[in-house]
Amino acid sequence: MAITYEPIANITLTDASSSIVFGSIPNTWTDLRVVLVNKGGTAGCRLQFNSDTATNYSTISLIGTGSSAASARATSGDRISLEYYGMDASIPSMYTADIFSYAGSTYKTVLGTAAEDFNGSGSTSVRVGLWRSTAAITGLRLFTVGTAFQSGTTATLIGIKAA
Amino acid sequence: MANIKRANALGITKTGVAISDVPDAPTIGVVADLGTGSTASVAYTAATTGGTATTFTATSSPGGLTGTGSSPITVSGLTAGTAYTFTVTASNTTGSKASAASSSLTLAAVGVYESIATVTGTGSAGSLTFSSIPSTYSHLQIRGMYKDTSTTDYDVSVCLLGRANSITSGYTKHNLIGYGTVAGVQNSINEGYLGFGGCYMSSGGSYTNMFSPIIIDIHNYASTTQNKTIRYITGNDANQASTNRVISLGSNLIQSTSAISSLTFYPADSGFAAGSTFALYGIKGS
Repeated sequence: MAITYEPIANITLTDASSSIVFGSIPNTWTDLRVVLVNKGGTAGCRLQFNSDTATNYSTISLIGTGSSAASARATSGDRISLEYYGMDASIPSMYTADIFSYAGSTYKTVLGTAAEDFNGSGSTSVRVGLWRSTAAITGLRLFTVGTAFQSGTTATLIGIKAA
Repeated sequence: MANIKRANALGITKTGVAISDVPDAPTIGVVADLGTGSTASVAYTAATTGGTATTFTATSSPGGLTGTGSSPITVSGLTAGTAYTFTVTASNTTGSKASAASSSLTLAAVGVYESIATVTGTGSAGSLTFSSIPSTYSHLQIRGMYKDTSTTDYDVSVCLLGRANSITSGYTKHNLIGYGTVAGVQNSINEGYLGFGGCYMSSGGSYTNMFSPIIIDIHNYASTTQNKTIRYITGNDANQASTNRVISLGSNLIQSTSAISSLTFYPADSGFAAGSTFALYGIKGS
């Protein structure tokens, strides 16, 4: 059987940055997974593809805050938001996004998770996202609005190849 | 070795220890990949001539990694992708002799995730099946994109169902569902299917180029002593501000101790639309 879940690239920030970009992604795999472990900061974690900043994105989220469950949606937005609570200034948080058939010719769907436990506050959440583009994904941008990703933040891009 | 007694010219006997001959070189045999990514077995045949060997040692080249024992010897610590040859050395207290080098062996890499199979909807099939699933993994994962051939936009319902091993009862589910504005729950016991619930995407005009994604993890699927636990996440985002688009997180239980060797997915309606696909992965590890 063929081995899969192959690391494609890993980025560790040595300085604070408001975005992390993976470019020139080959069409070798079936799906992609990106994992971001944030080292601190207070802004959210958001996702765009192929430098598309137009309102071609939508998201539906399911959130547990520890005391209640909720759901939210955003239509015709300019990104897929992976966060709900937002980051903590000093406690790490983790975000994953599975991007299906990223090199295919249909719209691109994403399943995302956020682990934002800040010892008394925070949330856990899952989401489905849509990028209404039939273009193959060759670039991926994780970004914040406001406080940047802090030094030590890591982002890993993984390729998943079906049989 | 054996004690010997010899007499000198004066008829005086002395007792001593005989020196063994050096063992003759063994004959190298088959070398094989043990499938771990780091171990190989090295077979040999001991010589029937020469001294008696007390130790047989297999040695890799490159690396000089060794293993000892009777045939076949296991050599550990090898690196996948590297071409190795091996020799086997027979030794005793007197000396040692090495075999000729084996044929070359390159170990295959072993991953945590491996691709097993993919099934694809044609627009007409009523179900899609993974059969003859090997029992060689610890867990399974299924990743897919799907929608129904129906052109009617149904409201929220259980959209994707599954059965393992053609078992028709004993499935339970607990689903947590987000509808975009509110969250809800579903649960049931002793159903006839696994329920990957709460979303639906048809082939109607609103959904051109859209599919629902899903990830399913099946734990300890090959166990013959435990029931099977399953976790999934699926969703349906069509950029619509209506309440029938969802995100769903759930857990299932199959009340069966049979190892899972097949899985069948059923659409909510007539069939899986062309472009629907499910890929099966095996996960290694303890």
